[in-house]
Amino acid sequence: MTDHTTTTDGEGGAPYRSGRRTAVRILVPVVVAGTVAAGIGLVPALADGRSPDLPALTAEQLVAKALGTGTQSLSGTVRVSADLGAPAQLLGAVGGLGTGGQGGGAQGFDPSAPAPESKLAGLLGGEHTLRVAVDGPDRQRVGLIEQLAGYELVRNGDQVWAWDSASNEAFHLALPQGGGHPATTPGLPAGVPVTPQEAARQFLALGAGTTSVTVDGTTTVADRKAYQLSVRPTQSGSTLGEVRIAVDSATGVPLAVVVKATGGATVFDAHFSDVSFARPDAKAFEFALPKGARVVEQKAGEAPAGGQPGGGPKAGGQPGAEEARAAEDSLNVIGEGWTTVVSLKLPAGEIPAGAAGRHGSEAAGQSVQSLARALGKPVKGGSLISTKVLNALVTEDGRVFAGAVTLPVLQSAAGVK
Amino acid sequence: MSRVESVAEAGPGRSAGAVPVVGGRRPRTAAGSLALVRSELSLTFRRTRTIALLGILALLPVLIGTVVRIETGGARGGEGPAFIAQVTQNGLFLVFTALAVALPVFLPMTVGVVAGDSIAGEASTGTLRYLLVAPAGRTRLLVAKFTAGLAFCLAATATVGLAALATGAALFPLGEVTLISGDTISFGEALLRAVLVVGVVACSLAGLVAIGLFVSTLTGSGIAAMASTVGLVITVQILDSFPQLHAVQPFLFTHHWLTFGDLLREPMYWDGVLKNLGLQAFYVAVFGSAAWSRFTGRDITA
Repeated sequence: MTDHTTTTDGEGGAPYRSGRRTAVRILVPVVVAGTVAAGIGLVPALADGRSPDLPALTAEQLVAKALGTGTQSLSGTVRVSADLGAPAQLLGAVGGLGTGGQGGGAQGFDPSAPAPESKLAGLLGGEHTLRVAVDGPDRQRVGLIEQLAGYELVRNGDQVWAWDSASNEAFHLALPQGGGHPATTPGLPAGVPVTPQEAARQFLALGAGTTSVTVDGTTTVADRKAYQLSVRPTQSGSTLGEVRIAVDSATGVPLAVVVKATGGATVFDAHFSDVSFARPDAKAFEFALPKGARVVEQKAGEAPAGGQPGGGPKAGGQPGAEEARAAEDSLNVIGEGWTTVVSLKLPAGEIPAGAAGRHGSEAAGQSVQSLARALGKPVKGGSLISTKVLNALVTEDGRVFAGAVTLPVLQSAAGVK
Repeated sequence: MSRVESVAEAGPGRSAGAVPVVGGRRPRTAAGSLALVRSELSLTFRRTRTIALLGILALLPVLIGTVVRIETGGARGGEGPAFIAQVTQNGLFLVFTALAVALPVFLPMTVGVVAGDSIAGEASTGTLRYLLVAPAGRTRLLVAKFTAGLAFCLAATATVGLAALATGAALFPLGEVTLISGDTISFGEALLRAVLVVGVVACSLAGLVAIGLFVSTLTGSGIAAMASTVGLVITVQILDSFPQLHAVQPFLFTHHWLTFGDLLREPMYWDGVLKNLGLQAFYVAVFGSAAWSRFTGRDITA
């Protein structure tokens, strides 16, 4: 700015050239805006689009590298964005069945539910940022970054703590000695991959005969060189088109997982935005219960019990959770590989008030079946609730068939002729 | 172009010719700029209006603190303003609650009044032409007005913070602070973070100061400039709430305002805060240059 002053001052004795000076005056803000906008637009584009030169690997070598990674500790930031195209009310109902609720928006978590399942099921809608630290099989920490609030899930040996800053409610789980699942963070429902590693392992474990795995060039994730692994179904009837996994070239750690629907739309994307393979500070896994926090104790494998604080939605949420657990016992899996269909019998009860979250409060008090009928479109054999990837068929007699498959596959699984 | 303006344009050049000392202009420019900034600062902060605005901002945390204190017993977990669960445990958190409540509406409103009135107010009272007759230069006057606006942002934010700290200390316990990531830090360290948060919140209003200054150069009516600046803040925040505008929202100047909460994690998460500061710098560059472009070429008729 100062140099413009000098120019103006310097022209004190010069003949006045109105047209040229007006042009300069108009040009300056335009050029400033253009330059900065171009900088904002170009810099990330250049950073992300790089395909580094790496020695060629076969798909087998790369899968082996990913599965055989010796990396035990890492820390970093993971961005998760999911666009399943599911109606908000449906996500709310699913959350309500799980343990009592999330609302389907970026900040739409039901703060009265400290249990990890419901909180992390919220990752299936919208965009979220997680901070992850892992040190060996039994020390993990996941911090969910929310606007002006935080949710922490810490596992240190046999102690699992979850804490929600918005409600100052904690959830405590003592694992049996020597038990637990070494590879996954406990408390997570299967099917909610939190780190790219877990997600990649799940997809790589999906049957070999039904899948084509290829190496599809290289990419850059979190400033690290990585191979792109492309996994596609060879069966027909799946709604999933492709799963792309970026595998770090140095350590074999999966850095990004992208799931695409058959139409090519990205439905799920989890990637590290920064990652470090240095061992995290041991302090990160020490969780001290914050002052004044209300604790919900849970023994391994049981529904949360006791210490239920506060009000209606909480008290109403617990029976729903128990029913859902009862329903899980009668869960059937039909088929295998990409066309796996899960079937269960719907609980006859009502969705607890508040479990459907802020966006779906009008759904409170309805039975799950009538909700399904209201949301779905009538097809032969029941009503179909469809999202970009997941389809669910609710039959007249209250059974649900769901999977990442097309409607005919669901109908044949349900025995609809 | 009016006669007054050509005098103003020619002023510095003429006096430079009268004092033919090589290099004599630079120290005079620096000292002159400083004097101008100082006079703008005292003009801003000695106004009754500014004192009243700061007084209202100071009342806000007192109100929030009292309400939280009275209602703590029946409060449902997690319902209410941000950090409500933390405020009852540690009064220092009232600083962050008050800032989170004040940032969307109250702070931008006061900043909009000060920034919007800066040039247009002088024009409507007829003092602008006298300011420009002095060998100050329009660019320097603009820079001085912008600096005074930034100083007001800092003063307003600090007022909210200090009033909240005093209220929090009076109504709630102090001591070790549990951050929103569940980690506990000492009170002194938490106080440093509060100072940092106040600084970041003040900086996140910089873009609005530049916008207000630009609007202020467009009109000769102070009220019109204030109203349109405050109206713009409200409009932008409404746009920020539509999910359909997802693609443009990261570029709205209010979008990253509440990321200051990320400084209350351990370790601090700077991603959103840096995005916010970068965006504010972008708005300062664009609207600052637009204000310069408009102001240096404008006819000063009043």
